[in-house]
Amino acid sequence: MANHSTSHPTHVQHHFVDSDQQFDSAKLGMWVFLVNEILFFGGLFCAYIVYRAWHPELFTQAATELNAFWGAVNTVVLIGSSLTVAMAIRSVQKNQIKGLKINLLITIALAVVFMVVKGFEYAHKFELGILPGELYTYEGIEHAQAAIFFSIYYMMTGIHALHVIIGIGLMWWIYVRANRGEFSSEYYTPVEITGLYWHLVDLIWIFLFPLLYLIE
Amino acid sequence: MSGQNHEHHHHVSTAGQLWAIATGLIILTIVTVVVAKFVPIPAPFDVVAAISIALVKAFLVAAFFMNLYWDTKFNAMLLIMGVAFFLLMVLITLLDTMFRNDIVPSF
Repeated sequence: MANHSTSHPTHVQHHFVDSDQQFDSAKLGMWVFLVNEILFFGGLFCAYIVYRAWHPELFTQAATELNAFWGAVNTVVLIGSSLTVAMAIRSVQKNQIKGLKINLLITIALAVVFMVVKGFEYAHKFELGILPGELYTYEGIEHAQAAIFFSIYYMMTGIHALHVIIGIGLMWWIYVRANRGEFSSEYYTPVEITGLYWHLVDLIWIFLFPLLYLIE
Repeated sequence: MSGQNHEHHHHVSTAGQLWAIATGLIILTIVTVVVAKFVPIPAPFDVVAAISIALVKAFLVAAFFMNLYWDTKFNAMLLIMGVAFFLLMVLITLLDTMFRNDIVPSF
């Protein structure tokens, strides 16, 4: 058994029994990280819940400053990008590297669209003086705690947007590695776990959209 | 463990399945907007409705895009435990914040 490494494919590291065990371990590790992410965003959702319970009328008033149309557009954009990531994984599972690369590029493009829309939304609010915390100068909302809603808004959507930017970087890294021919149906672990990360970013937005944009 | 080709036990979704899930998610997004904007539901049930639809969407993403439906049950358990601990965090926090005589003034 001492010389068992000769039968291993090159991508399997020596401390794993086989390719499958390595794949499942990587996926388990990613899920542990995603649970950590859920609890990280969970703290922000918790702050949202506490403040909404304290000031329900503030949330109804302040949410009118958010544009539900562009929020909905971004929701559809992210769902589309989740689809293309799933298609990218399907492509590499079927050894279609060209399909993998095309789907990664579409995903990157959709993520950029999301960021551009978000940028226009932020720019519009900055012009009005809707800034987080003490920088808040907008006078269109008759509520003493109006700045707090937008601090929560900027913190939640800002950290989500940071995840989108990191996701664009990861997607590009996967694309470069796919270009080098590193992936095949035998080995695509990084594609799979980057996909899991991207779906989580979509999942968080699924909750952010109705909770921030659709309060009536 | 020998003799098994590993690609035979990774689930590969068909393109049709993936498109169906994405279509379902977009339809549910439209339902969320319509319910929030045009159906008068008294508070707090408007939030309950919005979160219920979001949970269905989250289930679709986790089960069929993140493949938990076909995956080892352990990964699904991790997700469920994560959500359970999030709810615990919210519950314990609300036990404090909902029963204060005075909210901290600047809050």
